[in-house]
Amino acid sequence: MRKSKKDSVNRRDFLRAAAAGTAALVVHPAAASAAPPELPRAAGAPPLLKAPPDSPASVEVMTVDRPGSDFMVDVLKTLNFEYLCANPGNTFRSLHESLINYGGNKAPEFITCCHEESSVAMGHGYAKIEGKPLLVCVHGTVGLQHASMAIYDAFCDRVPVYIILGNFGDTAERFGQVDWTHSAQDPAAMIRDYVKWDDRPVSLQGFSESAVRAYKIAMTAPMMPVALVADHELQEYAVTDSANLTIPKLTITSPPVGDSGAVAEVARLLVAAENPVLVTDRVARTPAGLAGLIELAETLQAPVVDRNGRMNFPTRHPLNHTERGGAAIANADLIAGLELTDYWSTVNSVRGQVNPVIQSATKPGTKLVSITANDLYMKSNYQDFQRYAPVDIAIAADAEATLPSLIEAVKRQITDDRKHTFADRGTKHTSAHQQAMQAGREAAATGWDASPISTARMSSEIWAQIKNEDWSLVSNCQFVSRWPLRLWDFNKHYHYIGGEGGYGVGYGAPASVGAALANRKHGRLTVSIQNDGDLMYAPGVLWTAAHHRIPMLIVMHNNRAYHQELMQVQIMADRHNRGITNASIGSVLVDPPIDFSKLAQGMGVHAEGPISNPNDLAPAIRRAMAVVKGGDPALVDVLTQPR
Amino acid sequence: MRNLTVVAIFLALVVACPRVQAQTPAAKSPDASASSIANGKRVFAGAGCSACHGAQGQGSTLAPQIAPPPLEISAMIAYVRQPTGKMPPVPVATASERQLADVYAFLQSVAPAPTGEALKGNADNGKKLFAAYGCYECHGRQGAGASTGPRIGPPAITLAAVLRYVRAPSGQMPPYTAKVVSDQDLTDIYTYLKSLPPPPAASSIPLLNQ
Repeated sequence: MRKSKKDSVNRRDFLRAAAAGTAALVVHPAAASAAPPELPRAAGAPPLLKAPPDSPASVEVMTVDRPGSDFMVDVLKTLNFEYLCANPGNTFRSLHESLINYGGNKAPEFITCCHEESSVAMGHGYAKIEGKPLLVCVHGTVGLQHASMAIYDAFCDRVPVYIILGNFGDTAERFGQVDWTHSAQDPAAMIRDYVKWDDRPVSLQGFSESAVRAYKIAMTAPMMPVALVADHELQEYAVTDSANLTIPKLTITSPPVGDSGAVAEVARLLVAAENPVLVTDRVARTPAGLAGLIELAETLQAPVVDRNGRMNFPTRHPLNHTERGGAAIANADLIAGLELTDYWSTVNSVRGQVNPVIQSATKPGTKLVSITANDLYMKSNYQDFQRYAPVDIAIAADAEATLPSLIEAVKRQITDDRKHTFADRGTKHTSAHQQAMQAGREAAATGWDASPISTARMSSEIWAQIKNEDWSLVSNCQFVSRWPLRLWDFNKHYHYIGGEGGYGVGYGAPASVGAALANRKHGRLTVSIQNDGDLMYAPGVLWTAAHHRIPMLIVMHNNRAYHQELMQVQIMADRHNRGITNASIGSVLVDPPIDFSKLAQGMGVHAEGPISNPNDLAPAIRRAMAVVKGGDPALVDVLTQPR
Repeated sequence: MRNLTVVAIFLALVVACPRVQAQTPAAKSPDASASSIANGKRVFAGAGCSACHGAQGQGSTLAPQIAPPPLEISAMIAYVRQPTGKMPPVPVATASERQLADVYAFLQSVAPAPTGEALKGNADNGKKLFAAYGCYECHGRQGAGASTGPRIGPPAITLAAVLRYVRAPSGQMPPYTAKVVSDQDLTDIYTYLKSLPPPPAASSIPLLNQ
């Protein structure tokens, strides 16, 4: 909605003349007389163009019946957001008010967050469970700066998050110091390197089209965050041209499928290979991806080595060879990387000493093929694309969408002889899988009764309590030596959602709450193994979980350190030959130890701990689960081994 | 933890734990006859072992020293059949158990292990040093191992092998010079780790069978 030159001169004059239900005074007469357009409206919403009261223009008009932000709500409702995650900020105050009053605080429902990083990370976790974004509103400049790390994580993880940025765009509309410090000439500039698309529409019609376009772009593979600037002027001034405002239909782009010729060639290589290995990372966006990968692996009797960016393949499937991945890759004559984020490191190893030694992890002549949507879209400045991998065939396509045609092509090329060969190697793979799983169980037995509690013991105790529930683990397993993935039976697409994407600490707690929010309506038991250092970034998300009654079981992996960094500093101390007794300075969380139980209780979350005796774990988890089943979050603080 | 590079401290063959040993069919004792040693040398070269471990098993930047063998023969065979690190598996088609026993004899002949190794360490002091020197960071506070480093409590390799390895690791483990950790301190740490009880069998723990 653009203002006329006249009213752009003085905001107060404009308000006096045009607001308070007098929007028609500044709209073109033809528009004012036009019939209201048929737009999605909130229940009980006033007419788009309310007739002005019989009041003289000299009377100061101090209210607005139909602000632009109401129309923004109309637009956003067509996108079917379930939730809006936000920390309040006056740069989007009008939209905030329209959402909760005009929009009825439903679809989207406002989720109160205590930090913008939490808002975005909640959207990150939510999207990986629900398969679609929620809405995030972010305050101008300061809020966006808080949000930026979480946006980067979602970008690296190829997850859609839909962000609206508040801003005072027109410098003549900024009154007071805060309006200036919370505004920018180009608000999205600071995140442009790690969002897929952004726009700053200058009219309500422009907002409508850009809002729908942003959703479409975010949901097209490779999926990423998008940002839309909503200037204060657009939000707060009255709608003047309702008759001409339209909301375009959203049509989600079908995911890109691999070229048929290239897919046929990959199928030929897979069928001909004696030891093909499928290496997966972010393949399964939906349950169909999980089912498709099982069908491909079983058709070929090919082992799967899972990098676990998503829940790609059942952990107890006999063709899951993740736990002996190094040996499987070393023995492969063909490796098919499916949405594999770091292909180079899969086929090479680096000895990380002063003079790094790079060694091929594959046999000479091993064929490498890749199917990934990452080849379709790449940014320059932030280089999450990893080292270049010289593969033999690269298919730029969404791997999940390509699986059906690849499976069909594979089946077409399999002869009876190959079927016998596949059956034979399947028997060997089953045996190797069982040996690897048994080796994992034996390793888990080590330190079983130790205190601090081993992460294997903690994982086993959790599994004993949840295995008969419809559960969903929403935290990264890497920090607990991957024990859940080694010991639990993962077989549904929501059983696991991978990690941060950009390895930004502070993701874990809010992303888990976001995932739990998505799981809530499905009645799933959400479980998060929460790192202590991660929770300390923005613990206010515990209050969000309690306030909105988001049920989830949080089990603290409390090793009282930023442990990864502790190890890194020790490596440097060794390398510099200076002794290692000071390595803990700056990287441990002791003196005083953090009492996470009290922290959680202070925010209204049921909590117990710290627990250091492994025999006390099961009863505490059971008590916490009773709270979770009642619809609330609960936390058990566990003092653990480092990893 | 901005850098999530896993510190895969990789004490090479240590990963072949006693539990694995117990499940491995008992192999024959190494035959130290000249013909066995000669055959073992041929197999060692022919199967490609020397490409990474060096012609005399002395180790390289690619793989650790394995002469003298740091493991019992049954543990070595179990490991090469199903390695957990980056080493490729050695199937029976490549080397039979008899041939691996010959390789073992060859490796022993190259550099015989010290016999009658007498520990002169202090376990109590070793326990303190294990924490103070940060060994626990990657290997766990009782040496139980983690994704960051293998189990080392109780150690399956000799003190001599430990002393060699920590000074010049072949994997990701950072080197510990004598300036940082003395031989006596390492001996104390080794004595502490050796004093730890072996882990229970997974089959005896109901939670690991669910």
